[in-house]
Amino acid sequence: MSEPISTTIMRHKVESINALPTVPSTLKQISSMLENPRLSIDELGRFISNDPALTSKILKMVNSSAYGFPNRISSISHAIMLLGLNVVRGLLLGVSVFELMQKTIAGLWEHSMGCAVVSRLIAQKREIKEPEEVSVCGLLHDIGKVILILQFPQEYEKAQEHAHAEGIPLHEAERIFFEATHADVGSWLARKWRFPINLVEALEYHHRPRLSKQAILETAIVHVSDVLVRARGIGSDRDARVPDVDPDAWNLLQLSDDDVKGILAELEESASSDTEVA
Amino acid sequence: MRKLTPDKLEPGMQLAKPILRGSTVFIGEGSLLSKSVISRLQSMEIDIVYVDGTAEQPIPFDEAMASLNTRFENSGDNEIMAHIKQIVSQHIVDLYE
Repeated sequence: MSEPISTTIMRHKVESINALPTVPSTLKQISSMLENPRLSIDELGRFISNDPALTSKILKMVNSSAYGFPNRISSISHAIMLLGLNVVRGLLLGVSVFELMQKTIAGLWEHSMGCAVVSRLIAQKREIKEPEEVSVCGLLHDIGKVILILQFPQEYEKAQEHAHAEGIPLHEAERIFFEATHADVGSWLARKWRFPINLVEALEYHHRPRLSKQAILETAIVHVSDVLVRARGIGSDRDARVPDVDPDAWNLLQLSDDDVKGILAELEESASSDTEVA
Repeated sequence: MRKLTPDKLEPGMQLAKPILRGSTVFIGEGSLLSKSVISRLQSMEIDIVYVDGTAEQPIPFDEAMASLNTRFENSGDNEIMAHIKQIVSQHIVDLYE
């Protein structure tokens, strides 16, 4: 077997996402916009509002069970006011990669939406001030997979096949073909797009939450959400093995059996095949 | 409880959650939906309606339990994972009841 692709090559290719021919132009535009440190609320609002398809996708998302607002949010400016700039930036990315997720990895979008729902529910139970931010971490935690499959399609398919054949988690199979995993890729992009450190760490350490230093709670929430959504078999391959939960992260969240049952019930509703979220 | 988009509503279904207009109740929980109420709902800006009943499950019960066992195959004697599996297993049983 050939050498794994080096971190340096991976990072260079991933960070040139704006020049990648396989990336849709809307995502490139969004990527460039998010890199701007002086992006204002007005500019972001205008950008989204000028694109009716994007506007409708984002409004559908904020009115879905992932966000659980009791009253309908009917405009982008209202969404930004309620959710804040970073959450709307995250949602913008989420809905822009939706089609790519659907096309490239079966079940990844459903898994990501499931994690967004469960992350919000746990964040609310832990009384985190901005549960929607944690929900965005859940939504985007696997964004690195999409970028890897676009940049390195052959190697990534091999990693997927290997994970399936050996019954091991994908991030372990990725290590055979790449020096870094989709979690690293997600964190490089989150930094490039100037997301706050809690989102960067939640993406980077969602498989190894004990390494988080500045977002211990958020990272634990995304990690546990990932395990619970997999445990229920929502999204990805129904038979895909569930990775073991990190005991410290699990204990930190202090979820009772009733909490977990309630979370699974809400997850069921949001994943119901009767509705389409995006 | 089932979650439906308004175009999937059928007469005779019963609301599991009230329909709100702003903060006031437009149609109360437990109401039976008639053809005329459904067409009003379809003309309003409503994304989701909750009705009574169990959502149809995509696979038979035995298959769902077999998949659950496969998913937890690598967890060995990890106590927390065994506990999570037990809760998920009960959740699946409840879904099929």
